[in-house]
Amino acid sequence: MPLATYQTSVPVVVDDAKCIADKGCTVCVDVCPLDVLRISDMTGKAYMAYDECWYCMPCEADCPTGAVTVNIPYLLR
Amino acid sequence: MSSPFESYDDLDDADERLQAADPAERRVAIIALGHSGDPAAVAHLAGMVSDPDAGVRQQVAMALGEFDGPESAIALVQLLVDPERIVASAAADSLAELKDAACADAILPLVRHSHAFVRMGALRSLKELRRKDTLKPALEALQDSDAAVRVQAIGVIGFLKLEESIPALTASINDSDAHVRRAAVSALAFSQMKSAAESITRALKDDDWMVREMAAETLGLNANGSVAADQLIEALADGFWQVRLKSIRSLGKMKLDRAVRPIGGCITHEQANLRKEAAAALGEIADPSGEPYLALVAGDTDPEVRKNARWALQQIAARKARAGA
Amino acid sequence: MAMDEIVDGMSEVSCDVLVIGGGTAGPMAALKAKLRNPKANVVLLEKANVKRSGAISMGMDGLNNAVIPGYATPEQYTKEITIANDGIVDQKAVYKYAQNCYGIIEELDSFGIRFLKNENGDYAVKKVHHIGTYVLPMPNGDTVKKALYRQLRRARILISNRYMATRLLTGSDGRVAGAISVNTRTAELLVIKAKAVILCMGAAGRLGLPTSGYMFGTYENAANSGDGYAMAYHAGAALANLECFQINPLIKDYNGPACAYVAGPFGAYTANNEGSRFIECDYWSGQMMLEFYNELLSGKGPVFLQLKHLHEKTIEEIESTLHKVERPTRGLFQKGRGNDYRTESIEMHISEIGFCSGHSASGVFVDDFARTTVPGLYAAGDMASVPHNYMLGAFTNGAVAGTDAMEFADNHDFADFDAADVAKERDRVMAPTRRDDGIPPNQIEYKARRLVNDYLQPPKVTRKFELGQRRLAEVREDMEQRMIARNSHELLRALETQSILDCADMAAHSSLYREESRWGLYHLRTDFPEKDNENWFCHTLLSKKDGRMTSEKRDVQPYVVPIADDEKDLYDKQRIRATA
Repeated sequence: MPLATYQTSVPVVVDDAKCIADKGCTVCVDVCPLDVLRISDMTGKAYMAYDECWYCMPCEADCPTGAVTVNIPYLLR
Repeated sequence: MSSPFESYDDLDDADERLQAADPAERRVAIIALGHSGDPAAVAHLAGMVSDPDAGVRQQVAMALGEFDGPESAIALVQLLVDPERIVASAAADSLAELKDAACADAILPLVRHSHAFVRMGALRSLKELRRKDTLKPALEALQDSDAAVRVQAIGVIGFLKLEESIPALTASINDSDAHVRRAAVSALAFSQMKSAAESITRALKDDDWMVREMAAETLGLNANGSVAADQLIEALADGFWQVRLKSIRSLGKMKLDRAVRPIGGCITHEQANLRKEAAAALGEIADPSGEPYLALVAGDTDPEVRKNARWALQQIAARKARAGA
Repeated sequence: MAMDEIVDGMSEVSCDVLVIGGGTAGPMAALKAKLRNPKANVVLLEKANVKRSGAISMGMDGLNNAVIPGYATPEQYTKEITIANDGIVDQKAVYKYAQNCYGIIEELDSFGIRFLKNENGDYAVKKVHHIGTYVLPMPNGDTVKKALYRQLRRARILISNRYMATRLLTGSDGRVAGAISVNTRTAELLVIKAKAVILCMGAAGRLGLPTSGYMFGTYENAANSGDGYAMAYHAGAALANLECFQINPLIKDYNGPACAYVAGPFGAYTANNEGSRFIECDYWSGQMMLEFYNELLSGKGPVFLQLKHLHEKTIEEIESTLHKVERPTRGLFQKGRGNDYRTESIEMHISEIGFCSGHSASGVFVDDFARTTVPGLYAAGDMASVPHNYMLGAFTNGAVAGTDAMEFADNHDFADFDAADVAKERDRVMAPTRRDDGIPPNQIEYKARRLVNDYLQPPKVTRKFELGQRRLAEVREDMEQRMIARNSHELLRALETQSILDCADMAAHSSLYREESRWGLYHLRTDFPEKDNENWFCHTLLSKKDGRMTSEKRDVQPYVVPIADDEKDLYDKQRIRATA
């Protein structure tokens, strides 16, 4: 059976200008309990790779530069 | 496959990484040191308190919070006086994490610093250290021009629980700031001296309802709280139900028969929390004269009120049975 | 290397004590094991990262079962838990918790975990329940994990992050021999030989589907997919009272508690649409949930958390905790809805179902030393059967488990296991990665959890359960034959789906076995609406025997704190009878 991807708006947003993942920081990726953040090969910045979020906040709270914002997923907003 | 375990070699290349030209890279190195749990990291972190980048210094302040002890305190004290607020705030938070009483040596001189934020942070961190030589500077800080500093000073004094501090705490009950007065009332709870209970009693007349509420509650905790029985009964007419509620609770704890009527008078108050507390207090006192009041709430709309009334009637019945036997 | 690319590899390590799960109970177990024998190797294995994993990743806003001298006694607490759990309690473990927990509070305080203190530096304990005084707020409790992690590093515990344990290994003598795990970023296998193993893997919180439809918007941390329950089951351990589901009152649509234990001490309460309290029950229990459920269905619903009668300054204080600790996005959620606690009551609802002893009583069976029925295997925290033990119970029982497990390890050598078991498990784990075509794990998971909602959610109806079992068996067939994982992250989800389906099967099986109603809403069976003490005043133990799921009765152990008959009656009389 063929697979298709579908669109989803992800709750975690990263401000590339503030993110220092390209300098070796992995804090948000490390602390995520669901392991849904990754660092982009293209930009070197963190982003939400999988829409499987518990909107629990460690990524935002622990980010050293205040680059991460957690939003409430649309379905329960 | 690389080792499946977290590394404990975080310090190996620390010096090199801390000297990176890019402040973001230095930050990343500092985060790693903070997480290392290795006490040797403190020396590396202490060397970074004068970094030209405020974000780096903030990170150092946060990382030092992971390490207890005087060496960490000395470095944090330097960051508490940092001109950048983000750095000083992080340092204040980390200082408050310290538990080792020896840290007080480094912190004490800052109690007289020219900036109120520094004085406040210093006093806040001294609380948990509970060292007797912090009493004198804390007492002096009760005269500070900044109310937030005075609140922290009361904490330092209150945590020490020394009877010699009662006159000073009593004086703070007349402070111009309500937060200070509230803290002072609460700090008097421990005292065995009758004068302390009397001071708390005076606060039942405070202009601020939260101070009055604290006074009513604290009298229930204080060894000599029952000296205030009449004033607590008077407080049952307070304009704030919150104050009446705590007064009822404290009177209940004191098991005072003559409080039954005035407490009974509150049992039909529109606020369910107050009705519930009144019913519970009548049960604690367990005087049979409480029964008619409890009958008024037997069919209350609020199950908590009904439950407490039922329990109170059982307590009264038990007391009657004891008296009969 | 592409993101989450699958690497084919396997390695082996060994240790004295292996702790699986680095949330709450796990770190404490690891610390205590290491303290018992500082020379021994202690491995702490975690599916996420110990820094922020588990139910308390953002801390906790308070203790709600603190037994603090001067406020409550172990006897009183044991009595309350026994009554709240309808008498089905082995009191020894509860009593032991009640005796030990104050020492643990003091220890946590020394770690830098912050409890509310008054101006004298004494714990500011609050009364919320009708009789006992057990609530100790933690308005600055957001740094719990940070403080724990610091202790782990100091003790030089061997921490393995991003490894998901999949199965336990057992020796020919039935003793535990270790565990098999898989790296969630590379899919490489790691076999860990151990003399003793402690399971601290949290609740089975991803069982029911939240009403919002968002699969990860569960009450429990969504990483808690019941892996511990599944592993214990496949290792032959007994699981107790799984039919005593966990269901919680929540903010409607948001998965955080409202939260009565934070706002309660300030005078807030749960009220119906008439603005009146309606809960009769004293202690948090299935009975309380039944009353909540009945009110929602009655004309008096919806149900609200009522705060607007409180003073502005009080509400500010409540907000400062509710919006900072445990589930900090609560404030963001309310803001998005335009809700203000000052003017509006907060609509509440009940959560999806799960297993969790932390809040109810469904867990891997343990005695008062946290020992399961498999020698050398321990369990603590939300997944172990000590009822209603919450966060403080996880710490306290984790400590018990750590100490006893190290003692066991000191007196035993490694158990021998069959290398074929490892090969077999490797095939099972990697199977979804070896298919070119099939169904992705998210669809299988969604379907399984939707069926859980449709068929297994109370009130429990026998016919519905039987239909549910049939449908779930069809999903299992798809999962085993057709599930596909294209990268290691999908493999993680695929393995979690297997745990979820195992838990769903166990939930159905155990519920059908107990032919009575008990624990309020948690086990409300419409075909057997009455409590039947004559036949069912007992635990039920579910286990795998000869490859099949079986249930049996187990006597409740004699009480150490007697409960007088009139005390039981008193409580019963306060109750609203089930109307279903």
